[in-house]
Amino acid sequence: MSTVAAEQPSTPPGGFIAGVGRRATSGGVVSQIVVPIAAVVAALVVGGVLIALDGTNAFSAYREVLRAVFVGKRGLSDTATAATPLILVGLGYSIAYRARVFTIGGEGQYLIGAIAGTAWVTAGGIRTWPGFPLVVTGLIVAALAGAAWSGVAGWLETRFGANIVISSLMLVYVAGSVLQWAVRTGIRDPDSFVPNSRPLLAAELPRLPGTSTHAGFAIAMFLVPIAAVFMARHRGGFRVMATGFNPNALDANEISKKKIVLLVMVIAGALAGLAGMVETAGSTGRLGAAASVGFGFEAIIVAMVGRLHPIGVAIAALGLAGLTIGFESTQRVLDVPSTLVGVITALIVVFVVIGDALANRGREGR
Amino acid sequence: MDVLLKIATLEAAIRLSIPVALAALGALISERTGVLNLGLEGMMLSGAFAGYMANEVTGSPWVGLLAGIVVGCGFGALLALAVVTIRANQVVTGIAFTLLASSGTTYLFQLKYSIGQKPPRVDRLGMPPLVAMTLVCVFALWFLFQRTTIGLAMAATGESPEAADALGYRVVRLRWIAATIGGGLAGLGGAALTCGPLGLFIRDVTAGRGWVALALVVFAGWRPGMAVAGAFLFGLCDASQLRLQGTKTDIPYEVFLALPYLVTLAALVLRARASKTPGALAVPFVRGVH
Repeated sequence: MSTVAAEQPSTPPGGFIAGVGRRATSGGVVSQIVVPIAAVVAALVVGGVLIALDGTNAFSAYREVLRAVFVGKRGLSDTATAATPLILVGLGYSIAYRARVFTIGGEGQYLIGAIAGTAWVTAGGIRTWPGFPLVVTGLIVAALAGAAWSGVAGWLETRFGANIVISSLMLVYVAGSVLQWAVRTGIRDPDSFVPNSRPLLAAELPRLPGTSTHAGFAIAMFLVPIAAVFMARHRGGFRVMATGFNPNALDANEISKKKIVLLVMVIAGALAGLAGMVETAGSTGRLGAAASVGFGFEAIIVAMVGRLHPIGVAIAALGLAGLTIGFESTQRVLDVPSTLVGVITALIVVFVVIGDALANRGREGR
Repeated sequence: MDVLLKIATLEAAIRLSIPVALAALGALISERTGVLNLGLEGMMLSGAFAGYMANEVTGSPWVGLLAGIVVGCGFGALLALAVVTIRANQVVTGIAFTLLASSGTTYLFQLKYSIGQKPPRVDRLGMPPLVAMTLVCVFALWFLFQRTTIGLAMAATGESPEAADALGYRVVRLRWIAATIGGGLAGLGGAALTCGPLGLFIRDVTAGRGWVALALVVFAGWRPGMAVAGAFLFGLCDASQLRLQGTKTDIPYEVFLALPYLVTLAALVLRARASKTPGALAVPFVRGVH
């Protein structure tokens, strides 16, 4: 059970890890793009049927989604804002999944990053710092805290053989308790009646010029090409990919697989922790008891639909954010439950996973 | 007074351990045949939702349990279709199923009860029938794997599907059966939560209990009796957490909130290396490839 995900070299995964399958032929490339598009279309059709069953015209619902996102200045700005944490956490997942390290604990690392970053920038003696060093150190602290939290799950696997899927998720619940404690007592604003941290004030991220989107979006978009270069050109990225191919090949070359597991867990945790602080400093302005809104889980979808590729992750995150923003408006205007977005995106993932397996089966002819 | 309190906690512990125990048994039967069910949390959640709805409509918690089993079996069969027949990656498929169940139940619940509206409490089953049911299940599983040929064939399928195949056993069919029964048990566990100790449904009501159950199976070394013992340990922590939240202690109550998960993590860590993983867990079977 310990490394179920990683130790099955004799039976390669479905085409799920697209592009690192045994045959990255042109057929593979086509299915890499065809499968997610088909999955999105199929999920939107099912979503439309659900909307119709609920008694609303599906076409007007989807038209409202498009209108909310593309008409007016607000929609695109809001979409970029909503996509920011998804891009960051999704990038981390995509790197880890490439090494076939299936962490699902991004939500916990996100919370721990937000808590640590907020604790830092609201601490006495530090909160009076000028904006720039305050913002930068806050983000660094958050990334380090997220990396450490994620590293624990990695270490539990490399040291004790505890399955990362399960341990990383257990740590999400522990992080939730840490959040409750932090806003209730740990870093609570003494002047606030409800459990809250102090407002971040000078540590808040500035807006991007001409938009209502915060600078976190620029950070996320800046990290996309960096992640792409790391995976495609850097030695570390190559080792991550090689681990996904065949973990034993690395051992044969005296590169410790354990180090790769720890490396990807730390990277994923740092990005998720960063996301937590970016969201707090960019959107909410302070940390509250309801800070856990599920970005860490939605980002799993983003990573998978984005084919574990940084650019794909950015596209998938923007698409998912657009759907979310659009459906919020659809709920207001047409009374279609906004939680339908969750169903549609989860369906996309299910269809992608199954589509990959079918494509793989067809290619191997068995 | 102190004694009464202890008994009350013990009773709560048993009530809270039953859903986890049933789900763990479901994970166990499917993992013994080689199917890793990471959709367990989702199946539990779907069972919890179906159980609540059926109970609310008919007024009978027994119908609720039945609905949980049916929905769980359906979900389990879908998992078998995806990972046994289509041979999709078991880790990723399971996670995707759980995400789908989480958003699906949230959506359906929002359709029924718009925000702000308070969903009614439903009739709850007492402890004796739930305990009896769990004991029957654990005995049935023990009997299946220890005393029957089909159980042995299932275990062989999980250890070495090629050998089981060579002996004339239908690997794919056995895995389908195990995954379906496993899903049914997880669904029953979920329904036992909403029709048992809770009597209501809220968003993501299972709160990671399916994942806890998966960890407990590792802890138990894939033995039914030990899995139930592990579930009781979780229930004990869960019950004391509920109890201690109300009392005044020097330790922040959030520690108790995290306790069930920390204990599960500890159990997973302690036993991960020692326990005997089925040899072909999460490995798809293709005849004639090996």
